[in-house]
Amino acid sequence: MKTISQVLKENITGLCYYNRIILPFSAHFLKIIVESDIITDFSPSSKGIFIREKEDFTDIYFHEYKGLKSSISKYEAIKMVVVEKGKNIFNFDNHLKIALYLEDKHLVRIEKSDHDILFLE
Amino acid sequence: MYGKQFIQIVLVLILFFIFVDKLTANENVNDTTQVVTSDISEDSEFMHELPPVYMVAPFIVLLLMIATGPLFYHHFWERNYPKVAMVLGSITVIYYLAVLNDSHSLLHSLAEYFSFIALLGSLFVASGGILLRVNRKATPFVNVLFLLFGSIIANVIGTTGASMLLIRPFIKMNQNRIRPYHIIFFIFMVSNIGGALTPIGDPPLFLGFLRGVPFFWVLANVWYIWIPTLLVLLAVFYLFDSFNKGNASSDTEEFTGKIEFKGAKNLIFLTIIILSVFIDPAVLSWVPSLSPLPFGIREIIMLAVIYFSYKKADQEILKANEFDFEPIKEVAYLFIGIFMTMIPALQLIAHEANVLSDKLTAGVFYWATGSLSGFLDNAPTYLNFLSAAMGKYLLDVNLKSDVVEFVMHDDIYLRAISVAAVFFGSMTYIGNGPNFMVKSICERAGIKMPSFFTYMIKYSIPILIPIFLVVWLIFFR
Repeated sequence: MKTISQVLKENITGLCYYNRIILPFSAHFLKIIVESDIITDFSPSSKGIFIREKEDFTDIYFHEYKGLKSSISKYEAIKMVVVEKGKNIFNFDNHLKIALYLEDKHLVRIEKSDHDILFLE
Repeated sequence: MYGKQFIQIVLVLILFFIFVDKLTANENVNDTTQVVTSDISEDSEFMHELPPVYMVAPFIVLLLMIATGPLFYHHFWERNYPKVAMVLGSITVIYYLAVLNDSHSLLHSLAEYFSFIALLGSLFVASGGILLRVNRKATPFVNVLFLLFGSIIANVIGTTGASMLLIRPFIKMNQNRIRPYHIIFFIFMVSNIGGALTPIGDPPLFLGFLRGVPFFWVLANVWYIWIPTLLVLLAVFYLFDSFNKGNASSDTEEFTGKIEFKGAKNLIFLTIIILSVFIDPAVLSWVPSLSPLPFGIREIIMLAVIYFSYKKADQEILKANEFDFEPIKEVAYLFIGIFMTMIPALQLIAHEANVLSDKLTAGVFYWATGSLSGFLDNAPTYLNFLSAAMGKYLLDVNLKSDVVEFVMHDDIYLRAISVAAVFFGSMTYIGNGPNFMVKSICERAGIKMPSFFTYMIKYSIPILIPIFLVVWLIFFR
């Protein structure tokens, strides 16, 4: 599995199928924002989200959305605060703000959050 | 998907109402058995029976659902609020058409809705193409200056324009120390109270202006209430903010102090919107009326601004602002439900106010207009109480000369109604259009906003009510 830094450096894209996002990295998830939904409950009983880590990718299912692409405008991003696996989660310097842009052909552009985008940890 | 459906529904409503309105107009004029004028409309010859009190139920249900939906059945509400608003609105519409035979009230309410959403939508889209970067360290004093600036500018570009333009820079500036109270005070001042000085500031004052209240009357008669209210609120905010130390990381951050402005061409669109506010047959006699259509030239200009400002906007700015039509879509759907379901409530209030007008004091006008403006749309509330106040002197709100005479005769009632309609809009998330949009933008940025009830219990009741009480004691008792 690639690290977040590798994915960002090599501009590797993820995938999106309806309510499922496939990310080419593994991470500890702290916060995800989709539209006005602020998700911080990643427990197995969470109704809104399900995260499953596979050998080569991470699956995220957004149960409350039928289709993410039709819900989110082209200027809007799914935002997340993540920590690289193996790094100290308690150190705020390791908290990365990532923006996911849903593009055509099921592609997901992964960017380190733009300075302009309003995104509060 | 919902956007197209929404336009189709609204078009069908317009055509249907116009058709029924034409069909029933003559009947209603000649029908002397019917009792009371419905609402305060341009055509006072349209007489209709009052709705029964239970017809307020759809409105109360809608308000309760707006209040409880995001709290207790968040996901059902997010998926179904358009249907809920439409279904509840339809109950009122069907009752008015089938039982009261009154399409005129519906058409009138639809016209007010069009003006409301055209202004809100155009300001939302035009300001979405503007990027303001304030590279300053947020301190309580800088925040106070920012909120003061927002409150003043709200009188020039409207509370909606000021809110949309300034909320993002305000969050950005405070990003290491942002708390819900920052946003709540922003809503109090920039989205509401700030805009109490000109008819452009807030829709009820604009309605008053259209009816004949001189443009600068509000400035001349409300400034000495506006200044102390705002100063007290700024002082309370300063206290709150002084206790907020924020994250330690903000201390190490370097600030250039620069203020950067991008998307200047959208200022032209904003100017067009503000100027178009005056393009009304009631203000400029050469402007043609498109009656019986429930919109005019002004609304057409505003819709054109929505189209062109979006098409011509800088893509990078839209991305930086994370531009999305969802916040305005939410307002459009909820408020068409609100505008339809509130017709019976407004008519009953108007009737009671007119019946009791002799006994009503300035204080009663202040509290009644205020408490209803917090939950109902403040524009028709303002107009209904203005009508009741003018009724004390046997003057008609539909006649411009009567309004002018009323203003000169005894302006304490108008002052009480104007102040209350604008100030109390900040009492709830639904008190004024921009409140809801500011909330939505903040949530998208990751700020956990208080629920409908928490907003009232924790902020508006303990902070605003004592201030409004003092305003009443000093100016309207």
